[in-house]
Amino acid sequence: MTTVVTTAPTRQTTLRRVIGSPLTARILFPFAVLAVWYLIYYTIDSRIFPTPQQVAVFMWEEVTLTSGVRYSSVAENLYVQFAISLVRLTIGFFVAMIVGTVVGLAMGLSKAVDAFFHDWVMAILAMPALVWALFLGLAFGFGHEAPILAVILSGIPFVIINVREGVRNTPKELFDMARAFEVPQNKITRHVLLPSLMPFFFAAIRYAYAIGWKGLVIAEVFGSDRGMGWTIKFWYDAHRAHGVIGYALFFIIFALALEKLVFDPLANKAFKWRPKIDAVEMAEGDFGAVRSEAFLLAESQEVGEGVPMTSMEGESRNG
Amino acid sequence: MAEIKVENLHKEFGIGEDRVVALEKVNLEVGGHVFVSIVGPSGCGKSTLLNILSGIETPSSGTVTITQDNRDADPGYVFQAARLLPWRTVMDNLLFVQKDRSEETRARCQRYLDMVQLGDKLDKYPGELSGGMQQRVGIARAFSIEPDVLFMDEPFSHLDAITARTLRRELHEMWQQTRKTVLFVTHDVGEAVELSNRILVFAKGGRLEDDLQIDLPFPRDPAEEDVAVAKAQVLRKFEELDLVAS
Repeated sequence: MTTVVTTAPTRQTTLRRVIGSPLTARILFPFAVLAVWYLIYYTIDSRIFPTPQQVAVFMWEEVTLTSGVRYSSVAENLYVQFAISLVRLTIGFFVAMIVGTVVGLAMGLSKAVDAFFHDWVMAILAMPALVWALFLGLAFGFGHEAPILAVILSGIPFVIINVREGVRNTPKELFDMARAFEVPQNKITRHVLLPSLMPFFFAAIRYAYAIGWKGLVIAEVFGSDRGMGWTIKFWYDAHRAHGVIGYALFFIIFALALEKLVFDPLANKAFKWRPKIDAVEMAEGDFGAVRSEAFLLAESQEVGEGVPMTSMEGESRNG
Repeated sequence: MAEIKVENLHKEFGIGEDRVVALEKVNLEVGGHVFVSIVGPSGCGKSTLLNILSGIETPSSGTVTITQDNRDADPGYVFQAARLLPWRTVMDNLLFVQKDRSEETRARCQRYLDMVQLGDKLDKYPGELSGGMQQRVGIARAFSIEPDVLFMDEPFSHLDAITARTLRRELHEMWQQTRKTVLFVTHDVGEAVELSNRILVFAKGGRLEDDLQIDLPFPRDPAEEDVAVAKAQVLRKFEELDLVAS
C-alpha cells in the first residue's frame, strides 16, 4: 500500500515541473494567442476580422511578391516600402543618438546647461507622437523630412535623459583611485569613464530605436505617401484588416530579430563582466533589462563609500 | 626608502558658518622601513591627511614633501573598499595603474598576485570574487607599482573578522619583505597595535595629539599580554581624547 502512495506524488511533481517550466510556457504562448484569436473570430462574427491563415497567406504573398498589389508608382512592394522606412529610421536614429549624446553629456556635466534644456526635454517627452506627425506633415509635406524628424523627436529625449544620468552616476571613487595612482587622463577616459557610461548608452540605444519606430509609423500614416506606416494606412483605407495586422507583424518580426541578433549580442559582449542576472531580466522584461543594466552598474560600484572622499562625512561612518 | 615630511598642514572645508577644520597645523615626519598607523575618532581628519598626501585633495595651507629613492615611483594606495574597475579582469586592473604593459610589467603583476594567493584568478572579473579576494587584488595593485610609500585607508574595515585577520598577517609579511614606508589609517586600535611600530593619535578637529612608539617584537599575537597591554594603553588615550572633544 505505502509503496503505491510514494510513487504517485513523484510522477505528479515531474509532470508539474514540465508544465511549470519557462520553456513550456514559452512554447505554449503562441498557441494561446492563436486560441484567443480563433475565439474572437468565431465570437464577434465580423466580416473585417481576419483568420490567422488569412494573415499568414497575405504575409507570404507580400514576401514572395505574388499578391499583385501595386501600392504606388514609386514604392510598389514590401521590400521597397520597408527599405524606405528603414533608411528613415536609421538616419533619424543616428541623429538622435549623436545630438542626444552631446546634449546629455553637456547636461550631465554642467548645471547651467541642465537648467537650460531641462524643461524642453520634458516638453518634447510629453508631446504625443501623433501631434509631431500631424504638425511635421503640415510643415514639411509628404517627403522624407517629416518621418525622419518624427524619429528624432520621439527618440531624442530618451537618449538625453539616459546619457545625462550616466554622467551623473560616474563612479567618483574610481576616478579618485585613478588619480591617486596618477593614471593619465586619456587612460582614465577609456578605462573608467566610457565603460561606466556603457549601460546608460545601451539603454539609450534601445529606447531610441523602439520609440523611434513608433514615431516613424505614425508620421508615415499621417505625413507620408510611402513607407511601412503608409502601407498600413493603405490597407486600413481598403478595409482589409489582414493587411494592417500583416504589416504590423512584419514590424514586430524585424524588431525582435534586431533585438536578438544585434542588441543582445552587443550587450552581452559589452557587459560580460557583470554577474549573471537572467532571472531578474526575465521577470522584468525589456524595460527591466534596460533598468537592470543601470541598476547593476550602481551595484557594482556600491563600494561602501557612497559619500565622496572629499567630504568629512566619509570618515564618520566608521568611527 | 622614503621620507615624508608634513609641515603646518592645514585643511578646511566649507566657508562661513559651515566651515569645518579637518586638519589643524599638522607637523610630522615619517621615514624608512616603518609601519605607521593613524588612529583617532571619526571626523579627526585621518582620511583627509591620506588624501592630501596622495594628491587626491589639496591642502588649504602647509606643505607635504615626499622624498623617495626611486624618483619615478608614485605612492601606492589601498582604499577602504577595493575600488576595482568592475569591467576589467583582475590582471587588467593591475595593468591599469602601470606605466606600460610590457612582459616585465606583467610578470611583476603576476608576482604580486601570487603573493596575495590570487595567481590563478587573473582572468576573473571583480564581481566573481569575494570581498576579501577583491581587497587582496587592491593590495596587490598597490604593491605592484613597487612604491616606496604605501597609503592604506581602513583597508580591512569592510571584511569579516577572520578574513581581516588573515589579510593583516599577509600584509605584515609583505611589508617585511618589501621594506616599504606604510601609512595606515584605522579606527581599530587592536589592528594598529598588532601591525605598527608607531601610532599617531589624532583628536577631533584634526589635531595630532600623540605620537606613540610600539616597540614589541613581530609577529604580534593579539592574545599575548604585552600586545593586550599596549592596546589597552592606546585605547585609554583614545577614549580620553574622545571625551575631551565631545
